Parts: sequence; C-alpha cells; structure tokens
Amino acid sequence: QVTVLYFARSAELAGLRSETLSVPQQITALQLWEEIIKVHPRLAVIQDQVVFAVRQEYVLLGDQLLVLQPGDEVAIIPPISGG
Amino acid sequence: IVLGTTRNNFEGKKVIHLEYEAYMSMAEKEIRKICRDVRQKWPSVKHIAVHHRLGVVPITEASVIIAVSSPHRAESLEAVMYCINTLKASVPIWKKEIYKDDYSWKENKECFWANSGK
Repeated sequence: QVTVLYFARSAELAGLRSETLSVPQQITALQLWEEIIKVHPRLAVIQDQVVFAVRQEYVLLGDQLLVLQPGDEVAIIPPISGG
Repeated sequence: IVLGTTRNNFEGKKVIHLEYEAYMSMAEKEIRKICRDVRQKWPSVKHIAVHHRLGVVPITEASVIIAVSSPHRAESLEAVMYCINTLKASVPIWKKEIYKDDYSWKENKECFWANSGK
C-alpha cells in the first residue's frame, strides 16, 4: 500500500490530493501509472507531461522497476513552474 | 540577489494574481540539494538564502528571492544564477495564473518533462 499524492493539474483531474493504493511491491513506473489511470481515467490526458516522484526522487514513466515499501510516497508531478 | 516578481499580463489576458502550490517535503529537499551544490561549486560562498512564497501572490509582488553572499561578487552572481535556474528545473512548485474568467497552470521551459515543444 503506497500513498499517491496529486498536485496541480493532476489534482484537478483526479479530484483529490492524496489516497492510498494497493500495488505489487515490484512494478515498473509505467505499470504504476496504468494502475492509477484505472482509478482516475481523466489523468490519461496528461500522460505525456508528467513524471513520478517516488520517495522524493524523480522517476520517468517508463520501464524502470520500482521496489515499493508499505507507506512509500508516490507523487504525480506535472510540469513545474516555480521561481 | 534575484527577486522574481509577477508580470501583470499574459497573451493579452490580465493576470489578477498568482497561486503557488508545492510538494513541500520534496521542495525543501531539492532546495537543500541546490545549496549543497552551490557550496561545492563555489566554496567561497558564505551565506545562501532561498525563499519561495506559496498560496496567493498578488501581481507586482515578489514570489521568490535568492540571496548569496561571498567575498567577491563574481561567485555570488554565478551562484545566484545557478540557484534560480536549477530551482526552475527541479523544485516541485507549481504556479497557476488567475485571469478574470480563466486560469492557467504555467510550465517552466527548464522543466524537461513539459511539452513546450509540442
């Protein structure tokens, strides 16, 4: 069970800021995105413009294998605009 | 010192104010990384201050300030540029421009996963 955090446009599309999700302990980043889309199909429109932050490290939506622990934070990161 | 202040229009639309949100724990982590990098690259730097406002920021007000002190101004200026450029590329903060009847989430060109080319 991981905690998924939604920010900016992704929070608007998902309609919430955080939730827990049950996922396999080993999963690729893209597979994790697909799990999230099952719950929030509206997020599909931003697929090309987001990255994840897993345990506060950026991860591209691709084949990288994630090893997740219970309680890990996974954040959806739309394009940033600080500064 | 770099002070980022808000422009009052975008593509002819009048900006009423800005709203900022952040992934707080990661933003702090990334800013600390930037400060560590600065101390490695410019060892003569004495003090570094990075402050970013969150929530509503009215136009003409500053949303971000970066200040660096060092014995010689060349290092300070380079370090400040590095801080603002790296902040824009890597710190998870988002800006929403609020217009009269509309709003828009902005995207930094420094952000490598933004679609500014498309």
